[in-house]
Amino acid sequence: MIKPLFTFRYSVIALTLFWLGLFVLVPHVLVLIVSVLSPDPQHLVVWPLTLDSWARLFDPLYLEVFWYSLWLSGLTTLICLLLGYPFAWVLAQLPAWWRGVLLFLMIVPFWTNSLIRTYAIKLSLGNKGVVNSLLVGLGITDEPVELLYTPFAVVFGLVYVLLPFMVLPLVASFDKLDKHLLEAARDLGAGWWQRFRHVVLPLTMPGVIAGCLIVFLPAMGMFYVSDLLGGAKNLLLGNIIRNQFMVVHDWPFGAALSVALIMLMAMLLWLYFAANRRINRQGGLDDDGI
Amino acid sequence: MKLPSLLATLLVAAATSLYAEEKVVVYNWAEYISEDSLAAFTQETGIKVEYSTYDNNETMYSKLKLQQGKGYDIVVPSTYLVSKMRAEGLLQEIDHKKLTNLPNLSISLMNKDYDPGNKYSIPYLWGSTGIAVNSKEIDPATIKGWADLWDSKWQGKLLLIDDLREVFHMALKKNGYSTNTTNPDELKTAYEDLQKLMPNVRVFNADSPRQPYLSGDVNLGMIWSGELIMAQQENPDIQYIFPQEGAGFWVDSFSIPAGAENVENAHKFIDYMLRADVGKKVVEELGYSTPNGEVRNLLDGKYLNNKVIFPPAEAVDKGEFQKDVGEAMKLYNEYWEKLKAGK
Repeated sequence: MIKPLFTFRYSVIALTLFWLGLFVLVPHVLVLIVSVLSPDPQHLVVWPLTLDSWARLFDPLYLEVFWYSLWLSGLTTLICLLLGYPFAWVLAQLPAWWRGVLLFLMIVPFWTNSLIRTYAIKLSLGNKGVVNSLLVGLGITDEPVELLYTPFAVVFGLVYVLLPFMVLPLVASFDKLDKHLLEAARDLGAGWWQRFRHVVLPLTMPGVIAGCLIVFLPAMGMFYVSDLLGGAKNLLLGNIIRNQFMVVHDWPFGAALSVALIMLMAMLLWLYFAANRRINRQGGLDDDGI
Repeated sequence: MKLPSLLATLLVAAATSLYAEEKVVVYNWAEYISEDSLAAFTQETGIKVEYSTYDNNETMYSKLKLQQGKGYDIVVPSTYLVSKMRAEGLLQEIDHKKLTNLPNLSISLMNKDYDPGNKYSIPYLWGSTGIAVNSKEIDPATIKGWADLWDSKWQGKLLLIDDLREVFHMALKKNGYSTNTTNPDELKTAYEDLQKLMPNVRVFNADSPRQPYLSGDVNLGMIWSGELIMAQQENPDIQYIFPQEGAGFWVDSFSIPAGAENVENAHKFIDYMLRADVGKKVVEELGYSTPNGEVRNLLDGKYLNNKVIFPPAEAVDKGEFQKDVGEAMKLYNEYWEKLKAGK
């Protein structure tokens, strides 16, 4: 009787591996190969192998876009964290029923495609949009404020689209936070800041880091947000990558940029695991890191 | 006995599926056809139209290149892309004998050097790229040509078409060069001039350039003639200016990709679009110019006398039609990347 279960388990694993291999590994290997071929206007890519595309990553022009992209994504992540952390904290204090309702309300908008929501933001931020009509109508400003097609609009859009990805891991972290630890800290004479600094923050750090990672990396690539809200200037790395494939037809360079982005993600994930280990070690309880 | 009956079933299945797949796959510019005419075509011929759109030549080219000319039966490239795609074997010859309405087309836009004898392309619509001004906000009389867009008082105010050839056209014309230049020095001058223009740019748009004008987000910038006509239907204050240095002119043509699967239907579709009554509807709805002489005979005076749709001869003489620039495209692309990154 054990045998069918056994085969079932292996076939499930085999299927998963096959799936990952076909749709994750193979495409990425192809992208990697393309990144070391030569661009060609006639055939998209041709031999010989070359590292030219990789060298171009260090072109000051693209480095600058990279830094700017990093800055916008970093700002987005920071704002998401500042908004998401208190929200997750409050959420964790609430009775289970309320928590469910609030989480549900946060997720409902995400049943609508993010592209459509981005268009909606575009309409709201325009010179005759809701925000400016309100500002001018209430006499707060005489002229409409230029909100749309600015870096502000891009960050606003990114924060709006990515906020749940920050909140969800944080809520999970706060869930795991043992209230008795806070009581113990209070008994030992710790003020609110000390309790936060030495108990809450370290124990929710994995959630903070996980949230930051899954906000930061997509933010670098969401080219449609910067196209629609930023006025189609090349603000994000994603715009440059898209242009290489769709407009300039330099596939190797586009591939090299994609791989570079993936490598950045891998590096950040590694940092996450490294940090996680360190935090566990300092945690005292559940100390399995040593 | 089993095999023949199986064969018969297969044949029937094949026949029904063939019948079911009487279709034509059209890949056209966004907002570049009258929706009614698609439905009417299906009603008349029984051929289903699978329709999808792109917002710049390069996107369509990339897709077709990647699929080696397969997947679509009709595409609508601009002139310079017709010559490029033809040279790369991405297009197939169009059988003129199957196009009964071909004589409707006026001679002046036929047989150009991008496609001698129109073997690979049948002109669909043409138009110009000029300047749009919201006359409520800006006095149109103060805007004479492309050079006026460089004025520093427009900082962060302009809309540019998100298309490198169109944007370079402005700077090249401003400096008195050809829009089809392949001379690196001229290109460099144009690029350096455009660098000075970039601080004035609020937004690049190519999917629907009229929208930012209508929503009041921009009051000055580039626009396509047809987009302007469509904008005026909602807001008559938006006006068109033929820049004194010369507007950009382009022709978009029907072509059949080399790997098209429904070649016969593609011909039927082109022939249908060449019909005078169909062409009339397209002009009335989209506001682009037609190369179809019969359509002009049917059109109302208000369309025929509209200088945006049918520009005066002097404006056409000053302007220039786009051609393929060959290898120089690489340089164009390089400069374009820099400009869009704000360099």
